[in-house]
Amino acid sequence: MTAPSEGAATGSAAPGPVVAATDGATAADWREAVRRAARALVDAGAAGEGYPEACVRVVEENGPYIVLTKGLALVHARPEEGGLAVGVGVTRLAAPVEFGHPDNDPVDLLLAFCTPDPDAHVGTLSGLARALSGGLADRLRAASGEDDLASILKEALPNA
Amino acid sequence: MALDRQLEILAVCGVGMGSSLMLKMTAEDALRSLGVDARVENTDVSTARGMSPDVVIGQGMHTGEIADLAPVVITISDFLDKEGLEAQLRERLTEQGWLA
Repeated sequence: MTAPSEGAATGSAAPGPVVAATDGATAADWREAVRRAARALVDAGAAGEGYPEACVRVVEENGPYIVLTKGLALVHARPEEGGLAVGVGVTRLAAPVEFGHPDNDPVDLLLAFCTPDPDAHVGTLSGLARALSGGLADRLRAASGEDDLASILKEALPNA
Repeated sequence: MALDRQLEILAVCGVGMGSSLMLKMTAEDALRSLGVDARVENTDVSTARGMSPDVVIGQGMHTGEIADLAPVVITISDFLDKEGLEAQLRERLTEQGWLA
């Protein structure tokens, strides 16, 4: 249900976010899960090689606060850690992992994002927040596979 | 409303650009429902230390570090739980006399 953008002309709008999806990922612990989720952004060309480890360090240094809500982690690091484009990836784990979060463990769904500067992602992430409030996590959990994960995520993001 | 200016609200997280942005949006929705005129910003915990908002919202692992930053410090565990945040805001803002 994406409405055509108003006055869309070739090349006139900012490029939409890069979208990636990984299904059935296996991870022994939260670090592997975070690396796996961030790796999808590297593979999609949206983030540099150092990005996955930077995302792990965010949790090591700041705690498991990235587990935003029950079962869902928002994996990210600062733009200067390797954000090349605005990218959002969804990773569904084969088996959930514990982050050590007091309320929201265990985590079975990871949304990773990257951005080239501190502002470029705001529109995309705002759209993601709205979609999550509207039940996106459950739709992703019910997805039939990797392609379905990707198309559900795309539908949720403005301009994707 | 009892406060004669816009309420300054800060949503905090570790990096200050992802989770706290989501929290900011949840807070804006909750404040709209409460009819409170407020400006919500999001930032990381270290930047927050240099600021003087009326209200700080974050997870316990962060609000514990900045418990004296603002008259009202609200701890939440679910960044997307608008109803839960709205209930806490209603109670705490009423305590301060900022919400009639």
